[in-house]
Amino acid sequence: MSITRLTDRLGHSKSGTVLSKIRLDSPEIRSAFPDNLVARWFHCCRRLDSAGYGNVVLSAYVRYAPKIAESLDARAAFDLTDSISEVAAKTGRVEAEGLPYAAYVAAERINDYRGFRVWLSLIERFAAVAPESTAALLERMEHLLKNLTIGGLESWILAGIRSSGGDGEQRLRFFSFEDPESSRWLLYESGSVTFSSMAKRLGPFLRALWRAAPPMREPPLTATEQAKRRSSFDHGVIRMPTSFPGFHGAHAEDLYRACIAHIGAHIYYSGPRFPVRKLKPIQIAVISLLEDARVESLAMREFPGLKRLWLPLHAAQTPSSLSPNNALMAPNMLARLARALIDPDFEDFDGWVMKAKTEFFDQENNWSNSEMSRELGGLLGNELGQMRVGWQFDMRNYVVEPPYRDDNMGIWDFGDDDLPQDSLEAEQLFDSIRIEQQPDDMDDPAEREKEEPEQDLELGEKPVRIEVQQVEGIPVARYPEFDYLTGKDRPEWTTIVEYSGAKGPIQSIDAIVEEHDDVLHRITSLISAARVSRPKRARRLADGDYLDLDACIEARIDQRVGNTPDPRVYGKWTRQDRDLSVLLLLDISESTRDKVVRSKASVLDLEISASVLLAHAMSQLGDPFAIAAFCSNNRDDVRYYRIKDFNQPYNESVQSSLAGLESGLSTRIGAAIRHSGNNLSAQQSYRKLLLIITDGEPSDLDVDDTSYLIEDARKAVQSLAHQGVDVFGVGLQTSGRSYLEKIFGRRNSIEISRVDLLPKKLPMLYLRMTA
Amino acid sequence: MMLKGPTGCGKTRFIEHMAHQLKKPLITVSCHEDMTASDLVGRYLLDADGTVWHDGPLTLAVRFGAICYLDEIVEARQDTTVVIHSLTDDRRMLALEKKNEVIQAHIDFQIVISYNPGYQSVLKDLKESTKQRFAALDFSYPEPRIEADIVAHEANIDQSLATTLVTIAERSRNLKGHGLDEGASTRMLIYAGKLVSQGVSLTEACKVALVLPITDDPDLRDSLSTAIAACA
Repeated sequence: MSITRLTDRLGHSKSGTVLSKIRLDSPEIRSAFPDNLVARWFHCCRRLDSAGYGNVVLSAYVRYAPKIAESLDARAAFDLTDSISEVAAKTGRVEAEGLPYAAYVAAERINDYRGFRVWLSLIERFAAVAPESTAALLERMEHLLKNLTIGGLESWILAGIRSSGGDGEQRLRFFSFEDPESSRWLLYESGSVTFSSMAKRLGPFLRALWRAAPPMREPPLTATEQAKRRSSFDHGVIRMPTSFPGFHGAHAEDLYRACIAHIGAHIYYSGPRFPVRKLKPIQIAVISLLEDARVESLAMREFPGLKRLWLPLHAAQTPSSLSPNNALMAPNMLARLARALIDPDFEDFDGWVMKAKTEFFDQENNWSNSEMSRELGGLLGNELGQMRVGWQFDMRNYVVEPPYRDDNMGIWDFGDDDLPQDSLEAEQLFDSIRIEQQPDDMDDPAEREKEEPEQDLELGEKPVRIEVQQVEGIPVARYPEFDYLTGKDRPEWTTIVEYSGAKGPIQSIDAIVEEHDDVLHRITSLISAARVSRPKRARRLADGDYLDLDACIEARIDQRVGNTPDPRVYGKWTRQDRDLSVLLLLDISESTRDKVVRSKASVLDLEISASVLLAHAMSQLGDPFAIAAFCSNNRDDVRYYRIKDFNQPYNESVQSSLAGLESGLSTRIGAAIRHSGNNLSAQQSYRKLLLIITDGEPSDLDVDDTSYLIEDARKAVQSLAHQGVDVFGVGLQTSGRSYLEKIFGRRNSIEISRVDLLPKKLPMLYLRMTA
Repeated sequence: MMLKGPTGCGKTRFIEHMAHQLKKPLITVSCHEDMTASDLVGRYLLDADGTVWHDGPLTLAVRFGAICYLDEIVEARQDTTVVIHSLTDDRRMLALEKKNEVIQAHIDFQIVISYNPGYQSVLKDLKESTKQRFAALDFSYPEPRIEADIVAHEANIDQSLATTLVTIAERSRNLKGHGLDEGASTRMLIYAGKLVSQGVSLTEACKVALVLPITDDPDLRDSLSTAIAACA
């Protein structure tokens, strides 16, 4: 039937204008929709019109749906109608208005009907979960799809939703790219080469070359845009750009390698910092450049192959190929000088550049003297500054070329004392705020009603630890206490009160992991030996898998001699599975505040370090484990901190609790032992182990008799043995072993005299005990 | 004597040299987990007429005055290793219970063990009572110049290539404990050198002889390869 009559039949719309302006016989419609589908197309339009979303939605749809139908499939346009309704229902008009164009962009990029449907469904689900961010997402669809596949888009969206933890405002920040995490994740999902993808390769590379291993980080959130474009080395921390825009694949990887090698050369060969004093910016730039060349030249003497890494990245052009204006600009002059100093074939016709090159190489024997850069660079910089009149060197916007070189902040002494001493600490501040805002999976009901954390944001000072206002601890259990004088338990004598501890910065945990990197590696390799249960040989069995040769021969001999042979001539391989649970109990009484001999750390610090390493080992081994800490304030306030429960994963929240432990109060260890034992005996494993780390004699305010609590602790250990729980005590800096052995028994206790070795020793001890 | 040190440092070569210098026979036993005391000491074997006693390698050495070299003794289980205890204190005797014989060690008898303390499992360590019966010599990588000489000689390559190889080895040794259990040993350098002398490119030789064997971690392989590339 003719098209016009169709329109007549379908009648006029209520709102009138947009719908009635649809030309069903336009070439666009005719090519997008085959004959039998045109009616359906119009029906969709009418549906949108009568739904009351307004003219803008319908206009957008009318404009873009045919294009989508054209490039993909007519059905895509119809599916879009459904999606618009869905999205409009969950969100609002604005989002519905943005959807057709976003769909058009998606259709162009995805180029596949099925993929388009997946995309539509993704958007619908997103609108349901994050209505407040839908408009932001749709607006940026073009940018997103330029970098991501659908799978990548879904991943990125998921990252945003998860990291916001149900907070709508946070989500909106993410999806509007106000949160720097969004770009970071985008880079990650787009598969481009980023620092995080290269980090694991750069560290060992640097260490292999120069034995250097300073921590490497991305630029802090507070860095300027300019600072983020180049690497930096300052205050013992290496900063690497999150990515190098414009570089892809293998080129980007080589760029990162060149970058870290250059910084390594600085670390190894650069001397004391140059004082800035009255130097002009151009001089600073030239001195920095010469210092770069100097350390690189020295590095290339030792490692000639580095030239192949650095040289290709010098792309400065010779002046003949540039316009005169460009050729005179300082950054270009500097880039050419840089190239001249490394590339023997590069000829520059500028007098200053060639003079600098000659002087640099003339002083070849003086390269090991860092003063050379300063003197020569100062002179050359001065000359350069005077040569061109009326032309400014813009230090603020100057970015060193080539891009693998660092910003040289690390070689200058600006004489300022109010710059942050260690920018890592400032970062800790922001990060600990973020962790506070993340909901804990295993929410302790006692931990509600937190006050807003107070923050002190002056970067120059030491960061203030974010303190959660502690709720009063919850009394959870009463235990008897043994009185050795009467020889009987006193029932319900002590009260265990569970507290939720303060959270600390997890950077300190990361620092522990980095510091003990070698021990962790050792543990990992030991674990892989211990984890797969080792086959053990059982010999001289009555039945088995193979013949035990020695037993056979003896049997034969016996036969010959006339004795009765022993029929147990078989052997078998058996596997012993690991089936044990461990609860690690830490003494955090006041005495753990003391500093340890030969170390700057306190006893508590070392306990925490040891726990981190042990937790690492145990989580890899797969043994179920829990961590708790205790101290006491009289018998009705024996404080128990559950840092990690058995069914809790060893995650950031656990680490944060570990980092937040503080020393204080006394050591009523018997009660803590009983409570831990209770926790442990609920476990289903064959073996249950309570591993206690303590640094002093049991004591408490209301107890004068020194033997009383020792005897009680001893009784507690015995009662645990009845419940099938093994107890092992590790003593630190204890004045004598006598009470340690008395409580735990000689075989189940160990004194660690060199407490600074505790982090290394504890995991080994654990492996030995549980082999 | 106990020869301590990482693998591939010349412990076995040293023992061979010593045997040569002292003009004594050398009996080498490569220890492994399945080794029983009988494997060392000897056992009865069956033949047509009955049983006949066969001396084990240790007993042979004890009887006839040879050097018995127990290589990688930690691999053997501890209940096997204690069989040497009576030989390593002032008793210097070996009791063959099954044979009802006590042998006084020959005056030339010596026992030498090799021991690599680095990556032994905590479960597979030498007992303290065993360790203390030996005097130890520390073996580790030779000084760079000497190591280069060794590599040049053993692999039949020129000095400058050998020096480059030693530089490369040092890079890998910097990673000991930080991803690698051990850096490249002198032996591995010799292998790499041999490959080069037969026409393999240095990069390829290093990859095959140095990088691929010591680690499976792709990140570490990449770092190591990059560091090696920087050396030449």
